[in-house]
Amino acid sequence: MKKIILLFCLLGALRGQAQDKGTVLIKGGTVLTVTKGTLENTDVLIKDGKITQIAKGIAAPAGTRVIDASGLFVMPGIIDAHSHIALDAINEGTNAITPEVHVADAINPFEVDIYRALAGGCTISHAMHGSANSIGGQCQTIKHRYGVLDGEQLKMEGAARTIKFALGENPTGHGRRDGVQPQTRMGVEFVIRQAFAEGKEYLEAWDKYNKAKLTKGFRGAPPAYSLRLETIADILKGNIIIHCHSYRADEINMLMNVCRDFGIKRVVFQHTNEGFKVAPELAKFGAMASVFADWWAYKLEVYYSTAYNAAILARNGVVTSINSDSPDLIRHLYHEAGKTQKYGNLSDDEALAMITINAAKQLGIESRVGSLEVGKDGDVAIFNGHPLSIYGIPQITLVDGLVRFDREKDPADMRLLVDPKETIDIPTIHKATTHNHENCMQNMEWLLNVKMFGLNR
Amino acid sequence: MRNSACWTCLLLALSLSLSAQDDLPPVTRTYAITHVNIVQAPGRKIDMGTVVLKDGVITAVGKGVAIPPEAIVIKADSMYVYAGFIDGLSRTGVIRPKEETNRERPKDPGNPTPERAGITPQVDVRYALNPADKSIEDLRQAGFAISQVVPYGGMLPGSGALILLSGKSADQLVIQTKSALYAELTGASGVYPNTVIGVMAKWRDLYRNAVQSKNYESLYASNRSGLERPVTDRNLEAFYPVIDQKIPVLFKAEKLLEVQRVLTLKNDLKFPLTLAEVKEGWHAIPKIKASGASVFLSLDLPEEMKKDEKKDGKKKDDKPRTAAETEKEQLEKRRAEAISHYTAQAAAFQKAGVRFGFSMLNAKPKDVHANLRRMIAAGLSEDAALAALTTSPAQLLGISDRAGTVDPGKMANLVISDKPFFSEKAKIRYVFVDGAMTKLEIKETKKSDPNAKVEIEGTWNTTTQSPQGTTTGKLVFKKDGSGYTGTASSSMSPDPFPLKDIVLEGNALSFKYTMSFGSRSIDVEISVTVEGDSFKGNTSVGSFGSFPVEGTKNPK
Repeated sequence: MKKIILLFCLLGALRGQAQDKGTVLIKGGTVLTVTKGTLENTDVLIKDGKITQIAKGIAAPAGTRVIDASGLFVMPGIIDAHSHIALDAINEGTNAITPEVHVADAINPFEVDIYRALAGGCTISHAMHGSANSIGGQCQTIKHRYGVLDGEQLKMEGAARTIKFALGENPTGHGRRDGVQPQTRMGVEFVIRQAFAEGKEYLEAWDKYNKAKLTKGFRGAPPAYSLRLETIADILKGNIIIHCHSYRADEINMLMNVCRDFGIKRVVFQHTNEGFKVAPELAKFGAMASVFADWWAYKLEVYYSTAYNAAILARNGVVTSINSDSPDLIRHLYHEAGKTQKYGNLSDDEALAMITINAAKQLGIESRVGSLEVGKDGDVAIFNGHPLSIYGIPQITLVDGLVRFDREKDPADMRLLVDPKETIDIPTIHKATTHNHENCMQNMEWLLNVKMFGLNR
Repeated sequence: MRNSACWTCLLLALSLSLSAQDDLPPVTRTYAITHVNIVQAPGRKIDMGTVVLKDGVITAVGKGVAIPPEAIVIKADSMYVYAGFIDGLSRTGVIRPKEETNRERPKDPGNPTPERAGITPQVDVRYALNPADKSIEDLRQAGFAISQVVPYGGMLPGSGALILLSGKSADQLVIQTKSALYAELTGASGVYPNTVIGVMAKWRDLYRNAVQSKNYESLYASNRSGLERPVTDRNLEAFYPVIDQKIPVLFKAEKLLEVQRVLTLKNDLKFPLTLAEVKEGWHAIPKIKASGASVFLSLDLPEEMKKDEKKDGKKKDDKPRTAAETEKEQLEKRRAEAISHYTAQAAAFQKAGVRFGFSMLNAKPKDVHANLRRMIAAGLSEDAALAALTTSPAQLLGISDRAGTVDPGKMANLVISDKPFFSEKAKIRYVFVDGAMTKLEIKETKKSDPNAKVEIEGTWNTTTQSPQGTTTGKLVFKKDGSGYTGTASSSMSPDPFPLKDIVLEGNALSFKYTMSFGSRSIDVEISVTVEGDSFKGNTSVGSFGSFPVEGTKNPK
């Protein structure tokens, strides 16, 4: 009963907070700033959602909530550069090129995975389109403000625009099943080049039309409008960061060449399992990499891999992050970061950067989050041990200075909306829910059906 | 021989005269409803007055009204008359297109034809109306006179129309064509746009293209000389009245997330919007208010929890509960709370001062009265409920000059109940639509005998009469302890489906089952009265309506 009352209090509090910002003093913790070293017995003051002071012995302004962090570790909220949580649709995989679609239209703020991510100290994730097609949809960086009832309020305001690309087996598999391009890695390069070329023509046609319109007495037909080509044009203009699903070194090189040819500079490679083979080339291009700590061999193109990947990339000057791509791993990304110390001897700050500031750079939000610095957002994870220690457990997670997770007050039922038609069946609830490790191909089940029923000869 | 020939002639003549009688116009189209409590509009009441209808128009309302000599007088002693109800969204009387079975995926799923993609905004529902469809009668008998109906389809099925729920031809039904451009966030199966993100992107693309082509058409119209001819486009042209703010987009948005997504589209593109079939909108009230969108709330409600599910946490015995039992109780409590939110949605909109009507897309006509009563019990005022059935939809649909109140000059759309409509035992006795009367017989619900003893175990052959024709089926019942288990199969679905909630009280038998075809499923509810080795009754099949069903038991 107590738990239920607590639940309603907490839910009520969460709901009321919506887009609010919090004011709080985190006192006496070991502050892992990630970018400015580790500060013992230090206070962090957050005012209206922003860090305003990091120092010893800050007096709490009147009425400010104080969190006693003595003996605790205070780090910036963890950022996951590759996730698919909180989305109702992941793949619009029906066409090889769908940059016009945007996962922001499918945000589901009621997914309890958001709360679970908070329980792992993760405050921001990059909600990505899947990898079913060569140029997939635009992605959305979300803040884990679990408790808000509108997807709009999860969007990180001011975050850079990003888009999903995909190379290799996923998009070619799709092409082969449907009997359309691309069916090979060559085909993937071709459809991307073709899309860029069309985008360039589109941009030129509109520039020409807009210029002509300025001349007095101009009368003429505008070029056809296309949201698809409009988005490609925005990529060419440098307004959107490409996040490209990739494994093999040859195709990583391929995309860098294509981008070079079209003057595109902002590229982040996702997965990048063979990144270690082309680390100097990535560094030279200025491309970044987001990788798994030690996960591979789930399909043929992912066999040539190493747990030293992240360390090799980092040591070669590639901005590297470690991501989850999973509602499970997102809950303990700090373990994943810790693996770079076992495999590659990275320093604490280098390892933590993999799940904080480096991920922030890849999402174009490094001026706002990713480290504990004055002026940054009050996104904080508080651990009872060092987050890179296997014994460290997240205790409190704050987003914009508001406590969104507190291990002390963690009710069993954290659902925000309940289905009035749900069947309550305890044995089923307790059956372990199996998470599909790679969500990249979600929404593509119909492909399997087609294959099963042999309609696609 | 001669005799029998005469007999045939007589029969023929008789049947001819009978059918001729059917086609005769009524003797008079003037009615006077006397001694009736007139609820002209919410809060406007005349006790024991008279309403006179003539040629489809209300001509007089009040006390001491002269009754025209040609009038058929209905002595509605102490009954209650209201304006005929108005439904904001349904597919009443709309012909369902035949499902294409074995539809192969097109060669290039990324570039399907607009039709295959569910983009048919040029379709006009008036060409898909069947005035004889039973759904028209069903909705009329629930008190409705007018419905905004829309075609079947995908993300953009076509334009809706306002129809009267009585008439002999499609044209006679229609009050207004192209009342709204109907839309859903429904993806096309297996082709682009397949998901909600695809549908919303396609929406933006289509709308902006429509704006651009419309602008160019006006530029061209102003002076055609020297300009490239604009190419006509049936899909884009359907948006023009929306762009001109002449008609709204009527968007189905049941769930909260759908409401929010549709509002995102509206805010991006600035089209006039009517949200319809809203079931979960209470959290979005401020956002809906700020958007200026019109709203039709669903008259469908989730079923109340059964009594044994609803235990209020107190067990009669003192046995300690297991952790699983406690957890189940807590989950049930939250589920009950969720149901109460759905039921209280209308009250929440009333409290927030948002004008709304109701829509019947998912609700069954037979549930309307009970669901309204549940909403009222949850805080909706009776006046607000009546407004949502009459004056509000009339305003939202732009027909308040013709419908929504019992006033002289309005269309003769009336519903007459034997008690105040929202009281528990109220029954509708008459419905007038466009001056045409439907008299409802009070059904003998007590036909079944609670004390009768029948044995249903065995195999039954069934026949169901629907507009699509006769469907035959097979039911198998098996005794299982004190109850029964069973399966149902039919000519439509040879694989048997298990029966649920089999209840046999006396000779009244009812049960349910769910037919599932891949990801789609249809709930079927059957209630029949058993007489020996046969039964008769009704089956309600998902949103398709309810049909008579008969069965006979196979001899062992």
